[in-house]
Amino acid sequence: MPANEGISAGVRTGELALERKDAELAVLTISGEHDLSTAPNLRRRLDGLIDERVSTVVDLSPATFIDSSILGVILDGRRRATEAKLGFAVACSNGSGAVDRVLDVTGLRSELPVHARREDAVTAASGNSGKSPP
Amino acid sequence: MTAREFRLTLPATAENVIVVRQAVAGLGEVLGLSPQRLADLKTVISEACNNVVLHAYEGEPGPLEVSAEPRSGELEIQVSDRGAGFQPRANEGDPSLGLGLPLIAALSDSFEISGGAGQGSRTTIRFSYEAPESANNGTGVDAQAPEALEMAITPGELVKPVLARVMGALAARAEFSVDRLADTVLLGDAVSSSGEGDFADGRVGIKIQDGDGTLGVRVGPLVEGAGERLLDEMDLPGAGSLRSLTSRMEVTTGETAQGEKAEFLEFEVTS
Repeated sequence: MPANEGISAGVRTGELALERKDAELAVLTISGEHDLSTAPNLRRRLDGLIDERVSTVVDLSPATFIDSSILGVILDGRRRATEAKLGFAVACSNGSGAVDRVLDVTGLRSELPVHARREDAVTAASGNSGKSPP
Repeated sequence: MTAREFRLTLPATAENVIVVRQAVAGLGEVLGLSPQRLADLKTVISEACNNVVLHAYEGEPGPLEVSAEPRSGELEIQVSDRGAGFQPRANEGDPSLGLGLPLIAALSDSFEISGGAGQGSRTTIRFSYEAPESANNGTGVDAQAPEALEMAITPGELVKPVLARVMGALAARAEFSVDRLADTVLLGDAVSSSGEGDFADGRVGIKIQDGDGTLGVRVGPLVEGAGERLLDEMDLPGAGSLRSLTSRMEVTTGETAQGEKAEFLEFEVTS
């Protein structure tokens, strides 16, 4: 791959994609690089889902970089969802080195926990909201 | 500056952290870091910059200064501000919930925060090329935020990867198309081909102003005649001229930081 193509792919900040599994469950997929500059957008999306009373799966699998501000937003989202008695789960399968590393070093892989398969996270989010998975 | 050192000064904003991250990643690639260690380096530098962005200037504009110098088997990184420095109060207003410093501590070999009232703060990080075994208060904010990003890079192998990544990050942020982003990186590559003797103070000086879908780049200070030589090198035999990728490219005259007359090569790229 020409060097410039690699740079073009690597320098773009991250994107968020929302997939509604049904009226009560959504998967928010995080791709690319996410940091302090994108954390407010992620927070708005998570807050919006919780305000709509939608259980949420955050899928980090396509993310290539996340920093502590993104971890903070995810932890805060889980707290708010729990308080609202909504399901919340995190998935990361075949994560990038940078994402895997921060999840391991901070202990959040077991603390959250982080599911290795999106399907397991969907089941967990449905289960911890007290509803059956779609 | 020593061999392969670089310095970067830019406004302390959340949007600029990715620019620093890309610049330091370019350095890490030149040093041959493993993908895992490169990922660690990106995390460490991002967390150190986050602290400046979040806490140094209390919402006011101010400079974020980063330097990185390879030494035997390790990289010494300094991240500095001229503001209040980051506060030791746990978690207050910190979206990372206090995870930033533990991440730096876990992924680097050592780090030290220095500074004091009115002095800003400086985080000095020692980062070995191999992973470690285990995985300030200030007041007066009189620093002027730079209007643009300013870099000084030791001539040589470091220039091309660092400049390409920085220009690419700025172009991406300005929402350049993939083609225009590639054009911008090509222009960075062309500037990287300039030699040590072209620069008046022996280091590759680059100033980049971004905004409104435009990147304005100033290269220099250059020695007399170097600007025209760089312009000529933009003409590629049989492949047209890189000048056509810009909306403006010209040699200008100005002054060095020491007030001496010098040449600069200036160009603009638009989205």
